[in-house]
Amino acid sequence: MIRSIFGLILVLVLGAIMVAVVPDIEYSEEIHGVGLHYTSQGMQETGSANLVTAVIVAYRGLDTLGEVVVLFCASTSVVLILSLYPLSLKVSRPSFIVAQTSRLLPAPILLLGLYLIAHSHLSPGGGFPGGAVIASAFLLVMLGGTGVPGSSRNLAAVESLAGLSFGLLGFWGVMKLGQFLNNLVLGTGTPGSLVSAGLIPLISLVIGIKVASELSSVFAAFRYKGGH
Amino acid sequence: MLELYHWSIAGTALGLVLIGLWGVLTRRNIIRIALAFTLADTGVNLLLVWTGHIPDRTSPIHDSTTAALNATEAMVDPLPQALVLTSIVIGVAVAALFVVVAVLASRRTGSADIRRLRELRW
Amino acid sequence: MSDALFPVVAITMGIMMLAAGIAALYVRRLLSAIIIVAFVSLSASVLFLLMDATDVAVTEAAVGAVVSTMIFLWGRGKIGGDR
Repeated sequence: MIRSIFGLILVLVLGAIMVAVVPDIEYSEEIHGVGLHYTSQGMQETGSANLVTAVIVAYRGLDTLGEVVVLFCASTSVVLILSLYPLSLKVSRPSFIVAQTSRLLPAPILLLGLYLIAHSHLSPGGGFPGGAVIASAFLLVMLGGTGVPGSSRNLAAVESLAGLSFGLLGFWGVMKLGQFLNNLVLGTGTPGSLVSAGLIPLISLVIGIKVASELSSVFAAFRYKGGH
Repeated sequence: MLELYHWSIAGTALGLVLIGLWGVLTRRNIIRIALAFTLADTGVNLLLVWTGHIPDRTSPIHDSTTAALNATEAMVDPLPQALVLTSIVIGVAVAALFVVVAVLASRRTGSADIRRLRELRW
Repeated sequence: MSDALFPVVAITMGIMMLAAGIAALYVRRLLSAIIIVAFVSLSASVLFLLMDATDVAVTEAAVGAVVSTMIFLWGRGKIGGDR
């Protein structure tokens, strides 16, 4: 009861503050600040038609490296905790529908994930959603019971290789242009074509592989890290 | 009508944040607390994207239809979208860690009720 | 879809999301609560699409709706008890 009253007061106070503050966010008709530069110069400077990808991978590539590290730490912690404190394991046989679906659907899902990654600089998508889609195909295979248990060592190797490639791509910029993660080491190409936008497709690929292997190893730990 | 559209999205976002906060403060099942946390997360992401939204403009992707237009007057701001993209991925990582720790904590007490977790008493 | 329908869709979606959010806190079965939260994530993805944030919509649908739902379902199965 005390907890409810306290919670209600807190929610009401926060709600009042937000209702007072949010209308002051400008109902603007134009873009301000650094977003203006990204929209006006983004395609010329990076060669990427998709400006959100340009911001994520090119202008703020270092932040994305940090984000990948955070995701790595989280997935490593999950796998580590589940390895240290094994839970009771009960793997039930998949039903007919799940078993058949897990044969049919993974290929189209994988194709969608690869499309999202490969066209990150042209259309909505990118390394993070593409990697998540690929990991969900992996999850479907695992739920169908046709997956190979104990492949987490391979997943860890793939993930480490992707992380290393991200760093090496960054250092390529240092060697050639004196700037970490410089997008222009490959030239921008013609914006709108598949091979364009400098390093952006490569970095998207690396991010996609890394996210896919991280989420897959989390799912594999959920499924297979049990008691002995 | 356009104004109503614009503010209704902000209202949804604020409502989700407050519902999530209320759930975190009052619910007892630890998985349900994680769910409420996710709701608040979604609300915050909506609000952040909303700050960069300008009605009657296209998404920030160049194609044949936007080539003839001035990009700064035809597109929405790409910056909040890039930030929210980061936020969504990190939110899921945090939720995964939350659930795993919650499962281990509930193993110690044998129930999902947070009143049984004496270490968290206040 | 014509632009005139955007406000209608946004307001309908908003009301449904708020109702679903409250329902997720008070519905009896935990499994229902998890599915309702997945619905809120997917609706949020539609709102992102209405706000011209296509990349965010794709990411929310792939990451927010699918991966986090699977994580919660796993947690529910491990803790046991459906209340």
